[in-house]
Amino acid sequence: MIAILLDGIVQGLQLSLMAVGITLIFGLGGVLNLAHGQFAVVGGIAAALFVGEGLHPLAACVLGVLTAGLFGLIVDRTLLVPAYRCAGEERLLLGLLITLGLSFAVNGFLDFRYADIALTLRLPTPSYEIGGITVRSASVIAALIALGAFALLFAFLKGTLLGKVIRSIIQNEVGAGLCGINPARIRTLIVVLSAMLAGLGGIAQGLFSSVGTEMGNELTSFALIVAVVGGVRSINGTLAAGVLLGIVNAFASYLVGAYMTLLILLATAAFTILLRPQGLFAYRT
Amino acid sequence: MMRERHFADYVTLTAVVVVLALAPLALGDSAHYMRLATLMLIYMGYAVAFNIIFGHTRQLFLCLGALAGSSGYVSVVLTIKLGLSPWLTIPLGVASAALLGGVFSYVSVRRGLGVIFVGIVTLVFSLIFHNLVLGLRELTNGETGIETKGLGPAVLQNASASYYAVLGVVAASLVMYHLLMRSRAGKAFQAIADDELAAELAGIDVTFYKVLAATIGSALLGVVGAVYAYYSGFISPTVYSLVSVDIVVLVTLLLGGMSTLLGPVLGGAVFAVLDEVVRPLGRLNVLVYGILMIVLVVTFRHGLVAMLRKVVRIRIP
Repeated sequence: MIAILLDGIVQGLQLSLMAVGITLIFGLGGVLNLAHGQFAVVGGIAAALFVGEGLHPLAACVLGVLTAGLFGLIVDRTLLVPAYRCAGEERLLLGLLITLGLSFAVNGFLDFRYADIALTLRLPTPSYEIGGITVRSASVIAALIALGAFALLFAFLKGTLLGKVIRSIIQNEVGAGLCGINPARIRTLIVVLSAMLAGLGGIAQGLFSSVGTEMGNELTSFALIVAVVGGVRSINGTLAAGVLLGIVNAFASYLVGAYMTLLILLATAAFTILLRPQGLFAYRT
Repeated sequence: MMRERHFADYVTLTAVVVVLALAPLALGDSAHYMRLATLMLIYMGYAVAFNIIFGHTRQLFLCLGALAGSSGYVSVVLTIKLGLSPWLTIPLGVASAALLGGVFSYVSVRRGLGVIFVGIVTLVFSLIFHNLVLGLRELTNGETGIETKGLGPAVLQNASASYYAVLGVVAASLVMYHLLMRSRAGKAFQAIADDELAAELAGIDVTFYKVLAATIGSALLGVVGAVYAYYSGFISPTVYSLVSVDIVVLVTLLLGGMSTLLGPVLGGAVFAVLDEVVRPLGRLNVLVYGILMIVLVVTFRHGLVAMLRKVVRIRIP
């Protein structure tokens, strides 16, 4: 039982890592990024390509994360500009449609060009035992990566002036603008940061299974579910929702099978939107 | 003024039906092109439905394939398992689609969900539908799909007869669209699309009209989805997936022009040609659709009809 719980927590942290990017981009840019899983896949595939070039896996992973960030930068400075020009509903709609189109474009391109490339990271010691429980070292590393990333993110948001600026924009974009903050530059920073987090999530996924071109949509939908359940404007909520859904996922897969689990997760997301659109754990970050 | 406007509608409707009715003569006996033309009509039908739901009342339904599929599957499964006549099960399928669409709309209007949340809820429903169909193997055969050859109405068994049957459905939906838009409901839709709050304040029952639009649109999706199920001879989760229906319909409608009578038809025709052009690219066509969608959303949001209106300076409905 404890093994399942741990497994669930690790999976949940992975999900949160993906979802927090959606939360950040939505909160700050007012764009619901439906191509988020594709950012992760871009990171994963790039890392796989660098490994193929003969680089050390660690260096390849760092480069993969940077590639995802670069991709995010390009998307933000080009494709999303027309969306940023609009405000309110119009921006949401335009952003949604653009990123939906982007997700197809990326899927199509990767499927065509890198169909047979996938990232699989193998660790020297697959598993070891602590107190009678077999722990996969992949789980430990993935959990550490996610926890580290979250610790850095929270330290950044709570501890630095830039973090304060970011939180102020999430709370009130117009108000922040009136205080002399340039939301456009911060937005770019956040999109790049979120893309890098997604890339990190994608690469961490490579520790468990292989990350191939076809995983983009699946990652996007899981991240979306987590972001929605946690509240699309709350970072703490996203983290909590990710861990919660990860645990639910692990137990449900164990008890009722993978198929029912997916339905349970989807239904949770649907009911959350209908009953508490602000998210289950919505309180301001 | 009003009469002139309706006159333009009548001319357009007649022209569309005549051109589409004559199209098979130009295509000759090629079974391949006949099938493509019928598929084009089916997507036009989907686009007319989506136009009512999204174009006129701004409800972003990302579950078009799921609604069409629920109707198709309900009808086919009932026909097979209970041995009922398709003439009985098609209305049941349509009713289930209409009910689902109406409920989504009612709940989201009542909960005051913004366009984006309607999008997410319906997207999640799409995923649920897809997984349900995959999972309920005894009923739906899962991924493998169901053969529907010989099950449906006799009209849908023959290539050119089914072309005209589907054309009938599309023509009827266009006429219905025209009647709907000239009625009181049409005025209400316009007010809602312009400014929902103002419409509410002006005494328009926004909930009622939004649910009405969603129900009618979903029913139409159901009709087309069920017709497709019998026409194509085979259904599987893939033919009703987000990629094969929703994206195509979105692109079609954006291409043709939202909130117009001619938009879905024009968009459908152009898209069919485009689809044939990119077919040799094989798997790369997803890339082309994605790029096309971005380009359309960014630069061409008003569509072909708006462009034609500007160029030829006549009233195009």
